Amino acid sequence: MPLKDLLKKGSKSRRFSIMGYDFVLILTVIMLTVIGILFIYSSGITSLGKNVSNEYIKQILWGVTGIILMFVISFFDYRRIKLVSLYIYLAFVFLLLVTFLFGSVVNGARSWLGIGSLGIQPSEFSKIATIIFLASYLEDNSKDIEAFRVFAGSCLIVGIPAALILIQPDLGTTLVFFPILIAALFTAGADMRYLGFLFLIVILTGIFTMFYAWDLYLSDNFIVLGRIFSDRQVMIPFLAGIGILIFLAGLGLIIYRKQIFFWIAYFWSGVLVSYGITLGAFKVLKGYQLMRLVVFLNPQVDPRGAGWNIIQSVTAVGSGGISGKGFLAGTQSHYRFLPQQSTDFIFSIFAEESGFLGTVVLFILFSLIIIRGLYIVYTAKDRFGALISAGIVGMISFHIIENIGMAIGIMPITGIPLLFLSYGGSSLWTAFISIGIMLSIHQKRYRD
Amino acid sequence: MAFGRSENLGKESKQRIWAFGIFVIAVFLILIIKLFSLQVVNGFIYLNRSREVSRRTTIIPSQRGKIYDRSKDVPLATNVDSFSLFIIPGELENLTPRDVIDRVRETLSYPVQNIEEIYDKIPLNWHNVYTPIELITGLDLTDITPIAENKDHFPGITWESRPNRYYNTEGSMSHVLGYVGKINYEELQILYNKGYTTNSILGKSGIEKTYDDYLRGEDGLKFHTVDVQGRNLAQDSAITPPKNGYDLVLTVDRNIQELVEKAIGPRLGSAVVLKPSTGEILAMASYPGFDPNLFTMEGEGNFNNLSLDPKFPFLNRSIQSAYAPASTFKVLMTFADLAEGAFPEDSLITCRGTMTLGDRIFKCHKITGHGSLTLKEGLAESCNVYFGTLGVDYLGIDTIHHYGELLGLGEPSGIDLEGEVSGVNPSPAWKEAVYNTPWTLGDTLNNSIGQGFVTVTPLQMANLVAMIVNDGKLYKPHLLKQVVDPETGDIIMNTDRELIRDISYIDQDVFSKTREDMRYVITNGTAQPAIMNNTVDIAGKTGTGEVGIDENWHAWFISFGPYDAPPEDQIVVVTQIEAYNENWDWWAIKAADIIYGGIFGNRTYEEEVRDLKSRYVWYSWSIPLDEED
Repeated sequence: MPLKDLLKKGSKSRRFSIMGYDFVLILTVIMLTVIGILFIYSSGITSLGKNVSNEYIKQILWGVTGIILMFVISFFDYRRIKLVSLYIYLAFVFLLLVTFLFGSVVNGARSWLGIGSLGIQPSEFSKIATIIFLASYLEDNSKDIEAFRVFAGSCLIVGIPAALILIQPDLGTTLVFFPILIAALFTAGADMRYLGFLFLIVILTGIFTMFYAWDLYLSDNFIVLGRIFSDRQVMIPFLAGIGILIFLAGLGLIIYRKQIFFWIAYFWSGVLVSYGITLGAFKVLKGYQLMRLVVFLNPQVDPRGAGWNIIQSVTAVGSGGISGKGFLAGTQSHYRFLPQQSTDFIFSIFAEESGFLGTVVLFILFSLIIIRGLYIVYTAKDRFGALISAGIVGMISFHIIENIGMAIGIMPITGIPLLFLSYGGSSLWTAFISIGIMLSIHQKRYRD
Repeated sequence: MAFGRSENLGKESKQRIWAFGIFVIAVFLILIIKLFSLQVVNGFIYLNRSREVSRRTTIIPSQRGKIYDRSKDVPLATNVDSFSLFIIPGELENLTPRDVIDRVRETLSYPVQNIEEIYDKIPLNWHNVYTPIELITGLDLTDITPIAENKDHFPGITWESRPNRYYNTEGSMSHVLGYVGKINYEELQILYNKGYTTNSILGKSGIEKTYDDYLRGEDGLKFHTVDVQGRNLAQDSAITPPKNGYDLVLTVDRNIQELVEKAIGPRLGSAVVLKPSTGEILAMASYPGFDPNLFTMEGEGNFNNLSLDPKFPFLNRSIQSAYAPASTFKVLMTFADLAEGAFPEDSLITCRGTMTLGDRIFKCHKITGHGSLTLKEGLAESCNVYFGTLGVDYLGIDTIHHYGELLGLGEPSGIDLEGEVSGVNPSPAWKEAVYNTPWTLGDTLNNSIGQGFVTVTPLQMANLVAMIVNDGKLYKPHLLKQVVDPETGDIIMNTDRELIRDISYIDQDVFSKTREDMRYVITNGTAQPAIMNNTVDIAGKTGTGEVGIDENWHAWFISFGPYDAPPEDQIVVVTQIEAYNENWDWWAIKAADIIYGGIFGNRTYEEEVRDLKSRYVWYSWSIPLDEED
C-alpha cells in the first residue's frame, strides 16, 4: 500500500471527539497510578513512623506528566507515527548501544543514561519503539504473513534490542520482548507452527534452566536431567539420540509424507535448540544470577541470601490475610524486612496492607486494561493499530504476571516493575505513552 | 470503505484475540487462586511468621535463692549484681561511638584496660546498627549510678544486670554448698524438659545441685518488636516477670561449722557433727576445701588448678571417701556380742601380745599384752587379741556382716548431697564375687579389728553412733531444714525427721551397755589422756588405722555427748584425719575434744584453745593461735 494514500486517508479522518475516549481505560490507569503513589508513600515510612523518602512526590510528578503525555499522544493520529517508526526504532537501538557503552550502572545493570540524578532507562522506551516498528513491518507484509521470511524478520526486529538489553545485563526487560513478539505475530495471523515453535523453545528453555540450576545450586543429589548438561557420558548419547531421531523423522516425512513425522522432528528440534540456548545461558550468566533466577523453587536453601527476598515477600503477602493489616500498618514492609518495596515488590506491600480483597480489586483493574486493550485490538480500523495494541497488551500482561508471580513465589525473580504502581519515571511514562497510543487508536476506530 | 476493510484484521485474527484474552485472564485466575491460598487459606501461618521475624525476646534473669545456716541471719550463699554496659550505635545523635565510650571511661573509677579492643567492637557501618554491643562487663552498682543519673549525657548507652553467685564462706563449707555454673550440653539434654535453656545457670554440686529446683526460680521474659536492623520499636514491650528462687535454710550451724573446720585445721581429713534425735547435720567439714567464688570468675584457670591438685580439694571426704574404720569397728563388735550373747561380757580373754591363727601370728598393738580382759576392758584398751578372738571364735563373719548391715554399713545413708559412696561391709559371698577367692579366718580376724576389706565413710560411722544413742532408731541425715519464700517469708517446706532404720527390737540393755562401754573408753581407756575439756562428759572410741606406711596412721574418733543427757540433747561427733599428715597423732580425738568443749562451752575455736592453754593441757602447747603470732 502506497504511503501517500495512507497519509491522505489519515487527513480525511474525523475530528477528535471527547466521546471517542475510552473512559474506562483512562479511569483504570489513573486509579492504578493513585494506588501506586499511596503505597510508594507507605513504603517510605520507617519502623519509627517517620517518612524518610520523597519517592512518592517524584512519582506524583511523573504521574501527572505521564497523564498529560498520555492525553497529548492520544490527540495525535497514530498513523503518522508509522512514517517515522523505522527511525524511532533505529534511534532506540542506537541509544541502547550508547547505554551499553557509556551508561551508568544501577542494581548491577548498565541500564541508565543521563546526567547527574536525571536519567532515563532507554530499555523501557525501546519496548514501545519495537512494538510500533514491528506492527508497521507486519502490516506491510500482511499478504505474506504466514511466510517464514516474515516470521524471521519479526524475530530479528525484536531480537536486536532484546539482545542489547540482555548484555546490560537486564534479563527481566529482555524477557518482555518475547510476549510482545508472540502477541503481535499471533494477532497478525502468523503460522501457528512458527509461533508454536517459538513458544516451545521459550517453555523448554525455561524448564531446562530450572532443572539444571536446581541440580547445581538447590538440590543435594544430582538427578539425570542435570547431567545432560554437564556429564559428557550422558551428553553425547543424548544429543546423538535426538539427532538420529530428527534424521529418521525427516526420512519418514519424505518417504511416507505422514504428518506425525513432521511433528516428531518439530518437537525434537525444539528440544535441541532449547538445549543449545540453555547451555549458552550457563556459559554467559554468572552463578549468582542463575541462583537468583531459580531460588524461588526452594528459597529455604539460602534464607538469608538469595532466598531472602522471596521469603519476606511471600510472608508479607500471606500475612495480609483477607482484609489486610491496613494502610501504613504493614509490619514486613515498615520494619524493612521486605526489600525494594517501592519498585519490584510494590505488590507485596500492597497485598500486606490491603489483603486478599485489595489484590482482587487490583486484578479487576488490571483485567479491565487487558479487556479494553483487546477490545481496541478488536475494533481497530487497521492492522497497524491493531498490532500496536496487541503488542502493548502482551507487554502489560507479561509485566503483571511476572511481577506478581515473583512477589508470591511462583515465578523467578527477574526484577521488572509492576506497570502503573512501581516507583520509576521511565516505566510509568512508558505505560502512559502506551495507553496514549491505544487511546488514539480507539479514537480513530470509526473513521471513514 | 472496501479498501479500509481489507486492511482490517481477518476473521481468524479476531478468534485469536479471544484466545489471547482468555489465556491472559486464565493466568490471572491462577495467580488469584495462589493469592487465595496464601492470604485466605494460610494467612494466619504467614501472619505468625511475620510476627516471629520481628519479635525478639530477652531474658530477665531470676534471682537464685539464698542459702542460710540454721540461724537464718546471714546468708552463706547470695547474689551480687554485676552490670554489663552496652552501646546501641544507631541511637547516637551527632556523636561517634568513640565520644560516648570516652565519656563512659571518664566516669569510671578505675582505668579501663584494652580501650582499643573496646573501640574495635564497633562495626564500620555503626550508623545502622541497632543491636546492643557489649562494651564492658563486671561493673558494680557504683560504676553504673553516675551513668544512670545522667542518661542524656550518654546517648545509646544501656546496661543489664546479671546476678552473680557469691559465697560468704570459703573453705570446708564449700563442699556442702557446692557451686553453680553454666549448663553444659549433656545436662541440657537431660534437663531440657524441665525448662532449662542453653543460658541456664545451675547447681553443679552440693546443696546447689540437690535443691536446684527450689533455688533457681524462673527467668522472666521481655518481648519486643524489632525491625530488620534489630532496632527496638518501643511501642509494644510485654514482660513476663521473673520468679525468684526459694531461699534454703540449712541444718548446719555456721558457728559449729567454723569451730569444726578450725579444729580439723590444715590436716587432710573430715568431721561430721549430727543430731541423732533428728538426723540434722550440724557441721560437715572436709579439708582441703575450695573457694566456690572462683568458679564465677572469668577464665578456666582456677578450676583447672584446683582439679589438678593432688590433695583433691573437690572431694567431700565425709561422704565421698571410705576408709578402714580401724578400732572404731570394735564398737560394732561390742554391740554384736552383747546382742548375740555369743561370749559373756564378763568372761575373760587373755592377751599376751600375739595371737596365732593357723601358722600365722597376729600382733596386738601392745607388745607385752593386755592380760585378761572383759568385753568392757577390751574395748577400753582397744585390744586386738580380744576382738580377734571374739570375731574368729565366737561371732564369725556372717554375724559381723549381719550387724554391719543392721548398723548401716556398706550402703549410702541417703544424705541430700550427691556422690556419697557406700563403703564395703564384706561377706564371704562379696569376696567370692570381687576377688574370686574364698573367705579365710584371717579375713575374719582382720575384719574384727576394722582392717582388711571393711571400709566406711565418716558419715556412716556417725550414723552408727546415732543408732546406739537412739536405742536403735536412725533418722535420715540431712542438710536442708526449711524452704522459704523470699518475698512472703512463708515456709514452703519443712524437713521432718525421717526414720530410715529401726533395730529397737533389740534389747534396750544392749544399747545402754554399749554406751556405757564407750564411756569407759573415755574414763579408763585409750581416749582418756586426750579428752581434757571440762565442759561435757562424752563417750566414744578411738581408732588408728594401718595404711601400709610406717609410722603413719589414719586417726578416727567416734563419739557422742553429753553422756548422761537425754537423746534430744546429745550430739554425735565423728572426726577422721588421714594418714598422709605428718606428726598429727591423736589429732582426731584432740579435735573432737575441742569441738565438744567449744559447742557445750559456747566458745569459739580460739576461746576453747585459749582455755585449754590456760589449764596447761598437754596437747594445747603445740597449737598455734593467730593472735599470738
